[in-house]
This record gives sequence, C-alpha cells and structure tokens, in this order.
Amino acid sequence: MASEDKAPRPLGDLERLVMEQLWAAPAALTVREVHEQLAATRELAYTTVMTVLDRLAKKKLTERERDGKAWRYRAAAPREELAAGLMRDALDNSGDRREALVRFVGQVSDEEAALLRDALSRLDSQG
Amino acid sequence: MTTPVLLAVLALVLTGPAPALLARSEWPYRVPRAAVILWQAIALAAVLAALGAGIALSYWIAGRPGHPRFEPSSPRDLLAALILAMVALVVGRLLWAIGRVAVGTRARRKRHRDLVDVLATPDGLIPGLRVLAEETPLAYCLPALRGARVVVSVGALDRLDDSELKAVLAHEQAHLRARHDLVLEEFTALHHAFPRWVRSDVALEQARTLVELLADDDARRRNGPRPLARALVALAGAPAPDAALAAAKSATVLRVQRLAGPAANERRLSAITYTSAAALLVLPTITIAAPIVKAIVDALS
Repeated sequence: MASEDKAPRPLGDLERLVMEQLWAAPAALTVREVHEQLAATRELAYTTVMTVLDRLAKKKLTERERDGKAWRYRAAAPREELAAGLMRDALDNSGDRREALVRFVGQVSDEEAALLRDALSRLDSQG
Repeated sequence: MTTPVLLAVLALVLTGPAPALLARSEWPYRVPRAAVILWQAIALAAVLAALGAGIALSYWIAGRPGHPRFEPSSPRDLLAALILAMVALVVGRLLWAIGRVAVGTRARRKRHRDLVDVLATPDGLIPGLRVLAEETPLAYCLPALRGARVVVSVGALDRLDDSELKAVLAHEQAHLRARHDLVLEEFTALHHAFPRWVRSDVALEQARTLVELLADDDARRRNGPRPLARALVALAGAPAPDAALAAAKSATVLRVQRLAGPAANERRLSAITYTSAAALLVLPTITIAAPIVKAIVDALS
C-alpha cells in the first residue's frame, strides 16, 4: 500500500486513462494496443503502459487472459457498474460500511428539511 | 469483597445509564473536543472496570495474600483461575475486534480509493480532491496516512457556490488533518468487541456527531458559519425515506442550528469535562491497584 503511495502521481492519471481505453474498447486489448492509442496523444513508454496495466490487474480493476504470447486486458466491470458500487459504498448508512468514510452530510426527513431552512434563514437575517 | 463489587457497579453504570444520560444531554455539543475525550474515557474506564472487577474477584476468591502458589486441587484456586481466564478471553476478544476493524476498514477504504482514482477526475483546488461525475450530491473524505482523498460529486458542485464549496472542503480537510476516522475506529472496534446486549451504539453515534461538530468548528473558524450552514442545507436537500424513522433530530439539523447560534467559548465547561474524563480513568485504576499495592506492602513488612 505504502509503495503505491510513493509512486509518482502521473501513474494515477494514467490508470484512469488506461481504464477509459479499456471501457471504450469492444474487446480485450493487448498492452501494445493500449500503448498505441495512448501514444497518439502523449509521449509514453511501452513499459509504463505495461506497469499501469499490471497495477490495475493487482487492484482487480482489470482482468487478463493469455492470447498467444501476449496478455489481453479487459475492464473487470463496466464503468457504470463500478460507479454504482462506489456510490452505494459512499451513501450506505449502515454502520458496518460507514466507518470507511466520513461523509459531509446525511440525508434528512421532510420535517428536518424544514427545520434546516428555518435555521438558515435565521442565520441569514442576522445580517 | 468491596473492590470487585465497586468495579462491577462502575462498569455497569458506564455501559448503561451514563452513556444514555450523556447522549440525551445538549451540553456536550458545546464542547465537542472535550466531549470526545469524555466518551473515550467512559469507554476505556468501562473496559478497565469490567476487567478490574474480574481480576479483583479472582484475587479475593484465591485470598490469602502472601500465598500466591496455585493449588489445582483447591476449588477456590480453580474458580479464581477460571475467572482470570475469562478476563483474558475478554481482552483477547477486544484486541481481535480492534485488529479486525482496522484491517477491514483499511481494505475497504483502499478498494474505494482505487475506484475513486479511476472513476473520478483530479481537481487542483486542494490536494487529493477528486470530482465524481454523478448527479447525487455527495462530499466525503477517504482518510489515509498518505494519499488521503476528498471526493465531491458533480451534483454537489452544481448545488454549491464558491464560498460554500470552500467551507465543505475545509470541513473535510479538518477531518483528514485531525484523523477523526481513528477516533471513530476505536468506537467501532469497541462496538464489535462486545456481545449485542452490552454494546454501546450510543457511544459510536455520539462520537460520529461530535467529530462532525469538530470539523464544522474548524471550517467555521476559517470561513465563518454562513457558507458552511448554506452548504449543509444545500446538500441535505434530498429527504431519505428511512430518515423519518431516525432519531428526533439528525446530526445535520443539530449542526445547522449550532452554526446559527453564536460561536461558543466554553472554557469552564470544557475544563470540567476534561477533569471528569481524567477522574473516570483514574478511578478504576486506583481501585484495582490499591489492594494489590497493599498486599505487596503487607508481604514485604
């Protein structure tokens, strides 16, 4: 965990870009294919792409399969599915998950929403 | 016999009536920092008193100071040993719970952070900020020793003006700086360490609320109460179906009403609270230690 934190920040950005490639592709991609697409817009070493894909596989965000001599990578789940899981995680109020995050605000009932607006207008009228 | 009974009574009071009473009081919200310490002291003192009661009882049953030899044929010694074993079991369970919560929380948080990093885009406004392309208004932080994140959804950004966003970010950064998650983790571990009938949900819930108040106070000191209160109202907008079943006043309402009032400066109240916390911790320790020290002195003289 700590070693990943020490890695230069751009790797994180690359992870996002690579995932976007995989999500957009109709089939699993080889490292070379991902590299070709990314290298069209930025200077990038082949080995860097390999490292990023490897990291993503370790994080269980991609899955890989052998294709002859090369590995083919695909996203472990569609983007929407991962996003939905993320939101569930963040919004879940049940104690067991909640300690993972400290959320800014919880949800309120209708009466409470009225109380909130009331307190806010009092604050605003203080001038 | 007085020491084990005293400690047992103290443990019972600290797990039941005392937390219930404290949770119903309004004054802790005026001194959130001291109140968090008091809750920690109550929790720790309850554990110490319960364990102390066991140790003292075992010591009293075994009796005969100056004869520390264990005699397996004596039912007294066996009972004393059994009680000590139970104490050890409770300690083990507590340590296990702390470890499990720590490992579980970190694994879950790491997975969540990995997802955030590929799904959300970085924003240079503050370090570690990630913007998630979701309509649901949402802002939270993912604490970590290194590489903590603050996640804000597009839905939240749409609802907040610049000063409100600044207040939200200040609030989240206050959580991260003060490692409020570790405070909550203690109470979560404690919550998991005990069987359901002695569990203190109250302590964990109160700790959660107090930690929010602490982060609010920090954000308020930086930007004043108004942007933060507006942000809270803007983001709490969506009523939840099950929130109606929840307690009379949610933390959000409490926080906004608190921000609408004058900033508190409660030196005396917080001094009293800190002193009570210290006294609570010292009390069981002294009750356990006193007879043991006395026995040692007796044995030496």
